Amino acid sequence: MPTGQASHRLILGCDMSTLIETLINGLLLGALYALFGLGLSISLGVMRMINIAHGDLIVVGAYIASVVTQAAGVHALTSLVIVVPVMFAIGWLLQRTLLNHVVGRNVFAPLLVTFGLSVVIQNLLQEMCTADTRSIRAENISQIGFDIGGVSIGLLPLLSAGVSVGLFALTHAIVGRTHYGRQSRAVADDPSTARLVGIDDKNFLAIVTGFALAATAFAAVLYAIRTPFSPTAGPERLLYSFEAVVLGGLGNLWGTFLGGLIIGVAQLLGARVSSGLGPFFGHLVFLVILLARPQGLFARAAR
Amino acid sequence: MLRTESLCASYGLFQALFDVSIKVAPGEIVALIGANGAGKSTLFRSIVGSVSVARDAVMFGTEPIGNASERRQLKRGIALVPEGRRLFPSLTVLENLQVAARNGRAGIWSIERILAELPILASLSARPATALSGGQQQLVAIGRALAANPDYLLCDEVSLGLAPVAVDDVYALLRKVRSAGTGIMIVEQNISRALSESDRFYCLQKGRVALEGRSGDADRSSVAQAYFGM
Amino acid sequence: MIDRAVATEGVTNASAMHDALKISRLVLSPAILAGLIMLPWFGDFGLQRLLVEAFTLFAIALAWNLLAGYGGLVAIGLHFFVGVGSYALFSISNVLHLNPWVALPLATACTAVTALISAWPMFRLSGAYFAVGTWVLAEITRIAVLNTGWLGAGAGMPLEMISSFDRWSRNANVYWAALAIGAGSLVLTVAMLRSRLGLALKSVRDSEVAALASGVPASRAKLALWVIAGSIAGTAGAVSYMSTLQVTPDASFSLSWTASAIFIVVLGGIGTVEGPIVGTFVYFALREAFAGFGSWYFIGLGSLAVAMMIGAPGGAWSLVQRFYPIDLFGIRRRMPTVIVHHNATGAS
Repeated sequence: MPTGQASHRLILGCDMSTLIETLINGLLLGALYALFGLGLSISLGVMRMINIAHGDLIVVGAYIASVVTQAAGVHALTSLVIVVPVMFAIGWLLQRTLLNHVVGRNVFAPLLVTFGLSVVIQNLLQEMCTADTRSIRAENISQIGFDIGGVSIGLLPLLSAGVSVGLFALTHAIVGRTHYGRQSRAVADDPSTARLVGIDDKNFLAIVTGFALAATAFAAVLYAIRTPFSPTAGPERLLYSFEAVVLGGLGNLWGTFLGGLIIGVAQLLGARVSSGLGPFFGHLVFLVILLARPQGLFARAAR
Repeated sequence: MLRTESLCASYGLFQALFDVSIKVAPGEIVALIGANGAGKSTLFRSIVGSVSVARDAVMFGTEPIGNASERRQLKRGIALVPEGRRLFPSLTVLENLQVAARNGRAGIWSIERILAELPILASLSARPATALSGGQQQLVAIGRALAANPDYLLCDEVSLGLAPVAVDDVYALLRKVRSAGTGIMIVEQNISRALSESDRFYCLQKGRVALEGRSGDADRSSVAQAYFGM
Repeated sequence: MIDRAVATEGVTNASAMHDALKISRLVLSPAILAGLIMLPWFGDFGLQRLLVEAFTLFAIALAWNLLAGYGGLVAIGLHFFVGVGSYALFSISNVLHLNPWVALPLATACTAVTALISAWPMFRLSGAYFAVGTWVLAEITRIAVLNTGWLGAGAGMPLEMISSFDRWSRNANVYWAALAIGAGSLVLTVAMLRSRLGLALKSVRDSEVAALASGVPASRAKLALWVIAGSIAGTAGAVSYMSTLQVTPDASFSLSWTASAIFIVVLGGIGTVEGPIVGTFVYFALREAFAGFGSWYFIGLGSLAVAMMIGAPGGAWSLVQRFYPIDLFGIRRRMPTVIVHHNATGAS
């Protein structure tokens, strides 16, 4: 029980250290949401395509990881060795066979194609894996925690945040310094002029989507360890991904990261106030900020 | 020799070009003049693969190349400097050149050579491409097309909105490109400039070739007639 | 000369088709309408229930189509209005002890006011921001209702006043309400699109900048569209839940309302009025045919959506239009086709 001196520091019904703990855990959760949003940010940024199936693809990654860990008997993180390339291949194929046909036309064709895809994925998963929830056991990371200055932080959230920061930094470096990065910026700026300078959008976009899904694979595995998932968990993942991307501003990579952090903090602070209302507060904060800055926090400079 | 043969092009229900036959030879500059809406940009876009036309409407020597993709045409050696320059705002001057160079052909126009020919750009190469003046941007746009090492360069509206000094720089560059053996076709609103800088010219009016000939022999009144359709 | 002859031939065929349609429209539609109205006397409850679903979902699809296809407003959160409308109906009827059919227009008014109020925040957003913003609005409302005790929280509310009606009357009157909202929203849509509002919307759809420069009141047109579409969706939702007798937050604020609407509209042909009609037919025909197949029905549906968008992005109606260029409701304003003459000399 805090002393009289400290009692005036009660905020949101908690004392300072609980508040700091919630904030830190919110940031760590937010980093995971940001990672959910990374793949979406890439495809929205480069192809201006709203991928309704993005959340379901996260769930697909989770199921693949689940199958691999069970079949090969490996640790959840080791399964990444298989899950990442498989997800890359799925993304590449998806773009090449389906999405290339609808990119850049009107905005509704990609919307319905990815929506149809979402329905197919959810129901295929239900047929193949039953509707029950499952999760991946990784006790050696999900059970370990640290006590830093009175604040308790889990290893898994720390790891997730680290992976997220790493992948964002990697993507940033690729976009800024490599040929593929230059091409993706060119395509994002002006797809028709990009074709004019010879960018082969069919193959290139397939690689971009492959990369987006490969990054999503990391999010999927970390999510699967953390939360029980089921075939219909996609739409909620999609909504959080969207919130992160939109809040940060379309086309801004680190904006998506910040957006994710904000949603994560809002959710956990909200859960402190009234448990079960975490997502509600996340949505509320999202709306309030978006209304104050309708183009997101760091909108792409007007062209 | 790059030529079109009775080329017809449409946007949906609207036909923009009717039986247009033009040609460009290596090492010459051909001017394409005409009022707004005459079909000049459409003609360029048809040649370069942005607008679909019949296969034998565009001939490269004896090879029919109509309806190919922009990338295929670039590999064949046909490059377009688009109307309005259309540089990539998220890329620097250097990156605009790099992205085109990697997707084009090998040849004499390396990025170093391009920047050497245009020292002003060399000092600005790290700036975002759209942070330059209009004239500088036009030079970058031409440089970007050159980086693909084309045999034929199509320049749409080279001097629109540029100060006279900048226009001089642009034409100086084009003359250098011509002397390297490239065939150049330019769309130019300034008729006197167009005729003085080119070897031959075509005048388009409402999607048809209304007049053609050697620029040196061009008679102002017949050009004006063809331009305005009187 | 030959080209001109061919062109005239084409014109004659199209106008003949038009005349045939005009006549059939005059003869058939009252007949169809009469048949539909008489249905409760010769159809069974199962068929009535199916048609209630079809008419209400059709109305919601029309609403989504109005917003997205004509207004350029992609609202992934349209189900916000479905929930608001149905909860408005149930609350008004329960609290004021009103006959549900009397409460229905009040629920519509409630939804219209909600649309008006929500326009202020939502219209600050555009494009993808707007799309996601509306979805979050719907989610936030769902969670709020879920946690509100006097609205029944998770279990929802029953429609108390409806139990005073016998089963036949109840089913028939819900059916007629559904028929009214389905037919009414169609009539309203067509009337709107043929009006100055429709012209304004089309000009904004084609080019907002040009429209604004021409003095088109774009923002007022969008607001009118939002309120109309929202009211249609809300009323349809209310009628739909009159049929099920119980409204719950998870069901009435479910994304699947918008998802089905998107499916129907884009599959049928967005930005047309005929599209949602075709789409609704296809949706329910498939559902009745493959109901027993569980997940495989949905897999087929999703695959159909994917295939359709790749093959015919204009939807099923655009496929029909390729063979029979008809305009059922007289809405399309055609650009005059240029008939090109080719003289022997080649001169123009």
